[in-house]
Amino acid sequence: MSDQATQAPVKAQSPQAPVKAQSPLSEAWDMFKHNHAAMLGLVLLVIIILGAVFGPYLYPGEPFEMVWAPFTPPGTDGYLLGTDYLGRDLLAQIIHGSRVTLIIGLSAAIVTVVIGVTIGALAGFYRGMVEEALMRFTEFFQVLPTLLFSMVIVALFGASLPMITLAIGIVSWTAVARITRSEFLRIRELEYVMASRASGASNAKLMFKVILPNALPPIIVQSALMVGSAILFEAGLSFLGLTDPNVISWGQIIGSNRQYILESSFTVTIPGLAIFITVLAISLVGDGLNDALNPKLRKR
Amino acid sequence: MSELLEIENLSVRFPLRKSGGAFGAKTYLTAVDSVNFTVKKGETLAIVGESGSGKTTAALAIARLAAGETTGEVRLEGKDILPLSQDDLKAMRRKVQVIFQDPYSSLNPRQRAEDIVREPLDSLTDKTSAEKDVIVDELFAAVGLRPEQKRLFPHQFSGGQRQRIGIARALSTRPEVIICDEPVSALDVAVQAQILNLLRRLQADFGLTYLFISHDLGVVQHMCDSVAVMYMGKIVEHADRISLFANPSHPYTAALLSAVPSVDARRREETKRILIPGDPPDPLNMPPGCRFASRCPVAEARCSQIEPELKPVADGQSVACLLREKG
Repeated sequence: MSDQATQAPVKAQSPQAPVKAQSPLSEAWDMFKHNHAAMLGLVLLVIIILGAVFGPYLYPGEPFEMVWAPFTPPGTDGYLLGTDYLGRDLLAQIIHGSRVTLIIGLSAAIVTVVIGVTIGALAGFYRGMVEEALMRFTEFFQVLPTLLFSMVIVALFGASLPMITLAIGIVSWTAVARITRSEFLRIRELEYVMASRASGASNAKLMFKVILPNALPPIIVQSALMVGSAILFEAGLSFLGLTDPNVISWGQIIGSNRQYILESSFTVTIPGLAIFITVLAISLVGDGLNDALNPKLRKR
Repeated sequence: MSELLEIENLSVRFPLRKSGGAFGAKTYLTAVDSVNFTVKKGETLAIVGESGSGKTTAALAIARLAAGETTGEVRLEGKDILPLSQDDLKAMRRKVQVIFQDPYSSLNPRQRAEDIVREPLDSLTDKTSAEKDVIVDELFAAVGLRPEQKRLFPHQFSGGQRQRIGIARALSTRPEVIICDEPVSALDVAVQAQILNLLRRLQADFGLTYLFISHDLGVVQHMCDSVAVMYMGKIVEHADRISLFANPSHPYTAALLSAVPSVDARRREETKRILIPGDPPDPLNMPPGCRFASRCPVAEARCSQIEPELKPVADGQSVACLLREKG
């Protein structure tokens, strides 16, 4: 609509060149496409996800099976990434571990978003005592030391994957709740919300159909970054041994090899690199989403 | 003609919390204070006043959209709408619609133009999808938008076009009353004229009654049958258009009219600008007596003690000023 400025206001009605109906979403994708760093992140992420989904079929190795001598350096005897302290194939471990790592990252982020958006939306929409109570509740969770709290949950209820996911979700939803609340506080005062009210929209409709879609961009960005931090969190917990020993994850590989970090550092470095690249890719995508979904940065 | 809208003792106040936190005593900011007026069917009443005079709050209270505590009576076709429950509100909302001030924030950026216009139909009526399509098509034509623009999003329209969408939305349920909350103040002058002429044409076509909020007296003179002037939450003068512009009775109205710039050199010299010094009083700590007394050029000692009431001074003209009271 840049031709608007040059057009005489009196002619505002006169037919212009037909404009394609472009939704805010497709505009965001246009913006995202031209962001090289974000596209690099997206490509990396797609490769990682494809590897996690199809890898076990392309490289059928058992992650828990001892296949060769321990501490075989990468590239020797046909083992691309070498073997760990028990002589297990590291490449097979990385491939199988990526599934668990990604699933935990994603589902912990979903838990985070569900709790955070619900609490933030209610607090921001209803204000008053509801907001007061919910935000004090949020602050209570914010002041707890997160790693310690999640360790307590896992230690008490067992180190199964769902419990680890839940523990990560419970300690990290507060940021999403605060962002959602602040967006709701801002948007509820805008005229189109009042216009919807004048059109007879119920509170539930205002909250979820009018305000929430407009509040989504920062929430999407935050939850994308949340996937990365959940992966790091899971790695931290596994490193401390708080993990399901029957399921392999990247953090667990690092944790179990940590005693041999000086003799054969590659057993720790390789899964560490895998985590680093994945979290970096997610952060790049999250950053790109932030730029693409933030209307203030558009057309700059 | 009958009175379509009767406003009696309408007050809106906002609770404010003192610094004492959650347990501090509440104070109230009274934005609209016992306002009375009526609007006849098919006419346009303008409410004018400066920023903070309570004109928008009063209008939103009439549409049951004000955030504060509303008391008094708002009778639409003789029925008080303030005590209505959420379910009964729907019928009232079909009859009272609002055109908002800022077309850049009054349209949901994630809805297509046709969905914006359709929204009141979806929420307030039981019409079938096909019936709604017909109505939306008619409205797009009525407000001067092209059919192929239906699928566009708000950011693809200019300000004037956006306001046309807002007008189409307000018309969709065939309301009796439309509250126009400064509908042109965010637009540039040439577009203002187009929108004002559109509003007048629609008023004739659809038999609409307008409650027109504005601070632009030129716009008011063009649009309205009668005018209510508000100052600090009170109506200080209520008159038909001709009496008010020819013979402003309240010193505040006179000052407002004298501030309107004129291109006519002779008129410019004739009308001396009346300056009103100082600031409006603190709305949290309203002085006794006339609220305008502290800035009034002709105030007397009694003005800051006795609060004037709105009393008729001539046919179709009421004023709240001690100096204009007879006897």
